[in-house]
Amino acid sequence: MMTDLSLPNGGGMVIKRLLFLVLLGHALPAPPQAKSTAATAAGASLIPVTTLAINSPAPLSQRVVAYDIEAKYDAKTHTLDGRELLTYHNLTGQPLDRFPFHLYLNAFQPTSTFVRETKALGDERLAKWKPEFWGADEIKSFEVVGVGDLTSKLHFIQPDDDNVDDKTVAEVVLPNAIPPGQSVQFKIAFHDQFPETVARTGYKRDFVLAGQWFPKVGVWWQGAWNCHQFHTTTEFFADFGVYDVKLTVPQYEVLGATGIELSSVHHSDGTRTETYHADDVHDFAWTASPRFKVGEHGYAGAMGPIKLHILMQPAHWRQEARHARILKESLDRFERWYGPYPYKTLTLVDPEPGSEAGGMEYPTFITGGTTWWMPSGLYLPELVVEHEFGHQYWYGMVATNEFEDAWMDEGINSYTEVKVLDSILGRDTSVLNLLGVTAGDRELQRYEYIGVADLDPLSRKAWQYASFGSYGGVTYGKTASLLLTLESVIGEATMQNAMRVYFTRYRFTHPTPEDFLRTIEEVSGKNLRWYFNQAVYGTQVLDYEVLRLDSWPANWYEKQASEKKGETSYDSVVMIHRKEDFVFPVEVEVRFDNGEKLREHWDGQDRWVKFSYRKKAKVESVEIDPDHRIQLDRNDFNNSWTAQPKPSPARKLANYWQFASQLLAQCLTWWLV
Amino acid sequence: MNEHRNLIASGLAIVRRHKRYLVWLWLLNLALAFLGVAGLGNRLHPILDHSRYADKLLHGFDAAVYLELVARPEMGPETASTAPAVPFAFLFFLLTLLFLPGVLLAYTGEHRLPREAFFRVCERSLWRFIRLIFFFAIIAVPVVAALFSLHHALVKAAEKDMNELLPFYTMIATLGLIALVMTFLRIWFDLAEVDVVLRDQNMVRKSVASAWRHSWRSLGRLLGSYMVIAAAACLVLVIGIWVWHVVVPPANVVGAFVVSQAILIALLGMRFWQRASAAAFYMREMFVPSVANPPASAPPLSPPDLPSPGRELARES
Repeated sequence: MMTDLSLPNGGGMVIKRLLFLVLLGHALPAPPQAKSTAATAAGASLIPVTTLAINSPAPLSQRVVAYDIEAKYDAKTHTLDGRELLTYHNLTGQPLDRFPFHLYLNAFQPTSTFVRETKALGDERLAKWKPEFWGADEIKSFEVVGVGDLTSKLHFIQPDDDNVDDKTVAEVVLPNAIPPGQSVQFKIAFHDQFPETVARTGYKRDFVLAGQWFPKVGVWWQGAWNCHQFHTTTEFFADFGVYDVKLTVPQYEVLGATGIELSSVHHSDGTRTETYHADDVHDFAWTASPRFKVGEHGYAGAMGPIKLHILMQPAHWRQEARHARILKESLDRFERWYGPYPYKTLTLVDPEPGSEAGGMEYPTFITGGTTWWMPSGLYLPELVVEHEFGHQYWYGMVATNEFEDAWMDEGINSYTEVKVLDSILGRDTSVLNLLGVTAGDRELQRYEYIGVADLDPLSRKAWQYASFGSYGGVTYGKTASLLLTLESVIGEATMQNAMRVYFTRYRFTHPTPEDFLRTIEEVSGKNLRWYFNQAVYGTQVLDYEVLRLDSWPANWYEKQASEKKGETSYDSVVMIHRKEDFVFPVEVEVRFDNGEKLREHWDGQDRWVKFSYRKKAKVESVEIDPDHRIQLDRNDFNNSWTAQPKPSPARKLANYWQFASQLLAQCLTWWLV
Repeated sequence: MNEHRNLIASGLAIVRRHKRYLVWLWLLNLALAFLGVAGLGNRLHPILDHSRYADKLLHGFDAAVYLELVARPEMGPETASTAPAVPFAFLFFLLTLLFLPGVLLAYTGEHRLPREAFFRVCERSLWRFIRLIFFFAIIAVPVVAALFSLHHALVKAAEKDMNELLPFYTMIATLGLIALVMTFLRIWFDLAEVDVVLRDQNMVRKSVASAWRHSWRSLGRLLGSYMVIAAAACLVLVIGIWVWHVVVPPANVVGAFVVSQAILIALLGMRFWQRASAAAFYMREMFVPSVANPPASAPPLSPPDLPSPGRELARES
């Protein structure tokens, strides 16, 4: 669908726009200088080959874009006026005359696809959403260097749906195509109105987190432009490049941003300009608050020193050491297990409470999430920080398409999150270890998945999931569970090696699901299609149960026969049942009352299997997957059966409820009579 | 302070002297809750009794496994297992309401109350106590609603402040205020309940008015006593749960039951301690012995149940 460009805030008249542009020209710093005057006549590449922000003597990525941005932030109105010079290097192998641009902040308007989908899914975040909280990204002028002003040629498109009111993607058609190998430069003046945060970006009180805040070109991928609208469940996708950003903010603000800080210049009008530079990244985010307390740490990375900046809320300052610890421990595990972190900085932001900006990743810049009262045995800050740090690998460097293959960043990252947190905080205690109550990330990932096990395949595009619950449960929980289960097929060490090969091979590229799956097959030397077809491309559900366990004296027909332990022979039968349609080979452990244990293997092809024994012992218990490695099993309670019932667990839980019920009754009576 | 201690000590002595009421009400509390959670037990046993995975709930408490358990379809809808506990809690409230007059009468007497007298006063006072509840509701609901509105407004206003801790401090302050006001209301109506029983007062509004005058006049003394006992109850709960966690091994179900019931009987005792303190206060400050013109017919309650005339002088205004 195509629509005419109309300014999100109701503008559109040519004279008004020209007048505004003249005024804007006075308000903004001098625009970044273009390095050529004609796009098609430009050199093969105008992309800088800088390495200031990385611990590498040469660029690490095939740099497609360079953003040179100057922006001034008004903290009172939460607005920003900016000018960007975007250089695009055409490495597609074919001439390009159409260029789509993301204008993400336009998602925060009531008629956008993002808001419509959010509302339709019953999200409460919009329950009290007022017009003053809306956001917008308005293009004031759009010029192609060497061609001229094409503002009037810019129009909104909706590649994903028929919502003509969605203005999150704009497209321009150039009069002449950019030949392969050539570069084009766009000079864009834009005005941002930050929303009060409902998702990731915006302001809350005097805090701002600026993500997706500038016009950003789409990605030419698999022979076409990939530039999706902003959806309620989707994230982002962009090409690697170089960012030079000059941010002018009030002097009292404490800033954090992607990349390294090059300079800070104070102005007489009470503002200052910070200059940042980032290499081999595909996005740039920044944050500001006058109240951040800053912790600085160093880490000796495999490729060179890394500076860790931790921006904490004042009330959370005593947790700064917790944040630093988990960041360093995560760096340690990732560098040892998967590969080096090449950037010189990593900024961790503890966002304003209630800002909806927590738990988000941007290149070399992540947001955590905690509260002032967080007890030491509740590891939610560790969970969030580790997860977002993991995205530096699975999104930041291995830059998969988050719109279409969300499981490849969120899911693979959830898998490594389980591995890293297990290693640091313990397998069964990696989320909670407080007053005798425990919880491990591994089981919580599985729990998230089992409720929505048959709703959506992993291969579903992120905005097409049945519900928020299904998106979360499948994208995060199922992926983590299926990769943990895969360890039981190819071995934990092989899986780790496969992950390392995948990272090394595909860092600074945009791999597809098949790239990932083929790497695992290649490293393991096994054909795993039978597994991937069910777990990745299918919605099959895995559930095995112990169907029957029975032992009886072999001489049952003899009257008056007495049973003597260790002397009487027993016939025993054990039956295992595959309840659902996911076929998976399983181990079965059979324990006898003389202490003997047997391990049986079943390929799971049939619906059930029967094991029969004649021994001088009765079967005491049967357990499917005794090592608890099949995380995809939907019901672990029916995986085992003991001949003798053990009522203690049920009694213990009933006692908890008994206590709670009596307490409730007493409280009611305490106040009323 | 000395007066507080005396009132508190008197209350404690009364509760200790009449332990059997506490035990009976605790048994009632236990039995009703048992009925309330019976459905939960019936759902839990088929899933857990033969499963080795249930060990994660026995030897420790794995919250993820528990979440998985309650999500099982066999457990039914989320509230199906636990919802029955609410009507049984309400039933406990009704039965306490029924038996409380007898307990209060016993608390104001020197000797053991005969069973017939206990049930007779319960029967006579039931409708009066129900009316007292209505009075209490008419007064408490608007007061508490207004206080909670104020609480929400103040917390919301505090949330706009840059100081992240301000909403918490505001919440603590306003909830503390609400607790004080509610405690005062409880004192007022506890005294009214004693008055209704001892005077055999059919016009409960007179008891409410009389109790108001005395509770307001002795506000500091009574509120101090009640708050000290309430603080002791909070301590009992916190220390009890700590002991439960530290002393009782996770797999020791019997030990957990014993400790949990000890906590509950102690908590129940705390509330009766407050009521006994109110009874002691009433006997000292509000009781008017019928000396001048004893009624021709039998007094409302049998003499051995009432304190001897002249033991305490009334200061009824």
